[in-house]
Amino acid sequence: MSEDEEMTKVNIASSADIIAARGKGRELAMKMGFNVVDQTKITTAISELTRNIVTYAGKGEVTIEKAQSETGDKNGIVVVCVDEGPGIKDIGLVLKGGVSTSGSLGLGISGAKQLMDEFEIKSKPGEGTIITIKKWLRRR
Amino acid sequence: MDIPILKIEDFLVVTIQSELSDDEISKLQEDILLRIKDVGATGLIIDITALDIVDSFMGRTLSNVAATAELLGAKTVVVGIRPAVAVTLVELGIRVKWNVNTALNLERGRKLLKQLIGAEQRGGVS
Amino acid sequence: MSALFEDHADQLKGQWITEMRESGLLEQMSDVETEARYTALYNTVVSTFRTGEFEDVEKYAKIITEEAVMHDMSVERIIGGILKLRDIYERFIFSKYRDDEEKLYQLLDSYEPIANNILTIVTMAFVEERERVIHEQQRAMMSLSTPVLQIREEILVLPLIGTVDSERAEQILEELLDRIVEVEASVVIIDLTGVPIIDSLVANHMIKTVHAAKMLGADTIITGISPANAQTLAGLGIDISMLITKNNLRAGLWHADKMLGFKVRIEDR
Repeated sequence: MSEDEEMTKVNIASSADIIAARGKGRELAMKMGFNVVDQTKITTAISELTRNIVTYAGKGEVTIEKAQSETGDKNGIVVVCVDEGPGIKDIGLVLKGGVSTSGSLGLGISGAKQLMDEFEIKSKPGEGTIITIKKWLRRR
Repeated sequence: MDIPILKIEDFLVVTIQSELSDDEISKLQEDILLRIKDVGATGLIIDITALDIVDSFMGRTLSNVAATAELLGAKTVVVGIRPAVAVTLVELGIRVKWNVNTALNLERGRKLLKQLIGAEQRGGVS
Repeated sequence: MSALFEDHADQLKGQWITEMRESGLLEQMSDVETEARYTALYNTVVSTFRTGEFEDVEKYAKIITEEAVMHDMSVERIIGGILKLRDIYERFIFSKYRDDEEKLYQLLDSYEPIANNILTIVTMAFVEERERVIHEQQRAMMSLSTPVLQIREEILVLPLIGTVDSERAEQILEELLDRIVEVEASVVIIDLTGVPIIDSLVANHMIKTVHAAKMLGADTIITGISPANAQTLAGLGIDISMLITKNNLRAGLWHADKMLGFKVRIEDR
């Protein structure tokens, strides 16, 4: 494998890709020393977001790599999900979550937000969506 | 890939052995419900011990299967939820819509099924 | 300005060490060690005045405060030494330029910000280190005080004590779930007698724990909520209707026994 072992890109176009992305996520999380619970949270968050890409945007791309905090004191994992789908009209509503407000899109996005330590979303109707999530290794 | 649905006494037992694609999940759902109808099963156990991830989609699927099975006259118990998966599911908030019966393992699952079925037969409200 | 301090290094440094010794600020060290250590510190300070860069001071501050906190040194000891040096420099500047007011104030203008910053850096390093140690000790205490105990076949008891922060609550939850699997527990009793304040954070953790345990087939009984906390909880508006609660651990255990069909019987001895 190239020296970029710590960075993976997965193209998302079908539900099989969801499984592939999850696998990569777990692989890196395990390698970085996250405990089983955190590995599961990270992998599940990836599943939620990539599933949204397949369902609502048709296709997109997810990048998984190591991250370091700005202050340099924390190490973690960062996952960026990009798609050129229809974009989200009312992000606030979606983040409130719940199937009633926005279908499984909201559930998936708010779910991913709950599971991770940091969450950022950029989306506008017609301009696609970029979601960035991070999780830090626990202090021990 | 065909997932075996076993019949043990009056119950059906489905053991999910690996990560399933969305198509496989759909097919499994259909197969289970057909089987319940076919054999007149009163109970269904879904064993997900082998799953190390259950996302909201899978969670909803399990919930749907349980609800539909109920309409067909069968109670459902999901067994084998791993601690890491349990913590994640709870964090996902899936608990809000999750009315799925759960037990630690197959043995406890069967015990619970008997309890649930027995309670209903005695006219209890489940 | 730094040239001033460099050229008169021996004189000023010697004065500094003497004054510190007189004020009882020096730790028990041999003269050679004292000389070495304070020369290093002196040079670090001087180079800071020369370059205006504080990296070296920050590094040094971290090292001495780590040592100081570990040996439980008082603030006076740590800051006192630096304060003395500051005063010595300042007085020196005064003595040299006493007759040239303009030059004097010019020098002080450039001296004071740097001197104050050095002091701030050392003080902050001390405070941060103290807080870090306290935090660590608290966590160690918490981990000692929340064991998961198996009290009967299929019954686990988790007595919570003190304050539980988010991180710790997560750890406890994970440990509890592992234990449930390990002993195949059917009932978990969480006793909150030792938790003084139950706020919405704790309440939410409780609810998460109850749900997670249920996924593993275990029911949870919460015991030991004080009247004050009960009021707080009720007022929080969180849905606690699905919680099984009992007054105290004894009542909780009795209920657990009932749920599992256990009966306690007194035998003739």
